[in-house]
Amino acid sequence: MSTKALLVAGGGGVGKTTLSAALGVAAARRGVRTLVVTVDPAKRLADALGAASLGSEPQPLEDEPNLWAAMLDASASWEAIARRHADPAAADRLIANPFFHAATTQFPASQSYAAAEEAVTFIDARAWELVVVDTPPAAGGIDFFTAPKAITDLVGGRLLRWMTGGNLPGRRFLFDRTARPVLRIAGTVLGTQLLDQIAQFFMDLRTTYDGVRRRAKEIEAHLRSAHTIVVTTADPTPLREAVRFFRELPDVARRPEAVVFNRTLPESWIDADPGGLPEPLASNLRRWAAEAHRQQELRAEFASRYDTLLAVVPWQPEPPTDLDALERLVKASEGLEKLLSAPWA
Amino acid sequence: MLERRLVIVTGKGGVGKSAVAAALAVAARRQGKKVLAVSMVGPGDGLAAHLGTGRLAPEATELRPGLWALHIDRARALAEYLQSQMRLPAIATFGPVARAFDAFAAAAPAIREIVAIGKVLWEVRRGTWDIVVVDGPPTGQVGSYLRAAKTIEELVPAGRIADQAGWMDETLRDADHTSLALVTIPEELPTVESEALLGWLAREQVVGHHQIVANRVLDPLEVPATLPAGPAGDAARLHLALWEGQRSWLERLPADLELPYLFGLLTPAEVAARLADTWEAR
Repeated sequence: MSTKALLVAGGGGVGKTTLSAALGVAAARRGVRTLVVTVDPAKRLADALGAASLGSEPQPLEDEPNLWAAMLDASASWEAIARRHADPAAADRLIANPFFHAATTQFPASQSYAAAEEAVTFIDARAWELVVVDTPPAAGGIDFFTAPKAITDLVGGRLLRWMTGGNLPGRRFLFDRTARPVLRIAGTVLGTQLLDQIAQFFMDLRTTYDGVRRRAKEIEAHLRSAHTIVVTTADPTPLREAVRFFRELPDVARRPEAVVFNRTLPESWIDADPGGLPEPLASNLRRWAAEAHRQQELRAEFASRYDTLLAVVPWQPEPPTDLDALERLVKASEGLEKLLSAPWA
Repeated sequence: MLERRLVIVTGKGGVGKSAVAAALAVAARRQGKKVLAVSMVGPGDGLAAHLGTGRLAPEATELRPGLWALHIDRARALAEYLQSQMRLPAIATFGPVARAFDAFAAAAPAIREIVAIGKVLWEVRRGTWDIVVVDGPPTGQVGSYLRAAKTIEELVPAGRIADQAGWMDETLRDADHTSLALVTIPEELPTVESEALLGWLAREQVVGHHQIVANRVLDPLEVPATLPAGPAGDAARLHLALWEGQRSWLERLPADLELPYLFGLLTPAEVAARLADTWEAR
């Protein structure tokens, strides 16, 4: 079965997870065998997807013959990377190293990498025609696409070369601090015990390099051929994120196929006449009309800068709580159905 | 909150963290205080826009009388830190040694964080400012910054860096001195993320005082039971439904301060000024 991958990207809090699920439901109901992969969904949405049993293994949804769902757990990601790519003794040493824990919990690319790796596993399984991936919003979205490179750089990167001096020497060389003034300084500042732990960490991590690099290359290739849509609202922070995707994604993957403006107010409000209405209806209409106008201006500005399919999804005060409501969201939108019948979808 | 010497603003991405930080700085300045606004992570373009300026410099720059701002540049802050706090000779803090150390700090836990929070705390300690307002890291990352001093103390039993961690930790835990403003909006995900941070704060006890600031809060709307057809009725219905949703999240996580939803096209600087008005009206 040939599998298409649809990556749903965008800043945090724009409704990316909801729209991923909605697109998945709509595709499945058109007869496309679909898997929706979500990251950390809001509780009500998770319930709609049958979260009670939702785990990192794809589960078929009840009474929904073409729809599967899986939820990524990226928290144990580094341990999994270490176990997969280092020999057992080195992996044990790595995981027991106090520096390992501290370093890995603070390296945001690891969560993105784990999510990308898992998503690629599902795409490779060839068990679905469409895999919709809700990307994690870690530290600016585009991370998801650059994570494989970031991981490879960390594992084989300049810090390691700096500490070990090129090839992998023995510990003796590493600790020849008199020969390496940087290490002498680091020793003064950090203390020698931490420096020893750090050195051991990087030496063990180095043994994972070949495995990590190979896998990262595969993942990169997959991400490069996948199709991406960018979700945003007409608010400054998510819009900045969306612009970043359109500017920077072409360097690392395909250009986004579409931008989806979520929480959109009707354009008909902009010129609605509040004349003759009693208060507070008139002033309430006036301020929401101003809001609709603001949204329209920002959409128009975006459209003039980036020639792309622009979809709008109306502002729903209540988040969808079941699959029918998710499908209705697609139907109520302008452009999402077109997106699903695009040649690549 | 404005009575303290240091206010660190955090919040989930997109809730208006930078706008609130700028509003706090503006409100403090209106009280006649000498204010330093700091963007702690990244170049701080959001904070800059809300303060009505283009770009923030890495050293304190006066934007308007009494209002100063800077963004923390990691490499520069690290060099400063190594010189002033670690008492390393200046020669060791630039050139290849500094580049290597910077690479190290980028990957090593708590180093980057201690350098950033160290720079902030050092500005507070200098005594030049009545108040330092920090546009801090987002909720998901703020913990590693607030905890950096503790992490260092645990990881590094010896070394000069451990000596410095002590006073930093104390300053953050001093409730009369430091406050954390947790910005949220009354919706599911920001509420859940804020609760997670509050739980973490209760366990770790790394900051002395915190306040919850709810942003984009709608006001109540009193309208007749039967609404007219068309946009006016639709807008009222949307407002009421959103308002009700917000109330349920505010009940679950009550805010110490509610900032209003601002309608229509406003520049970032206008947003900060309007939010500062609310602060003043209290």
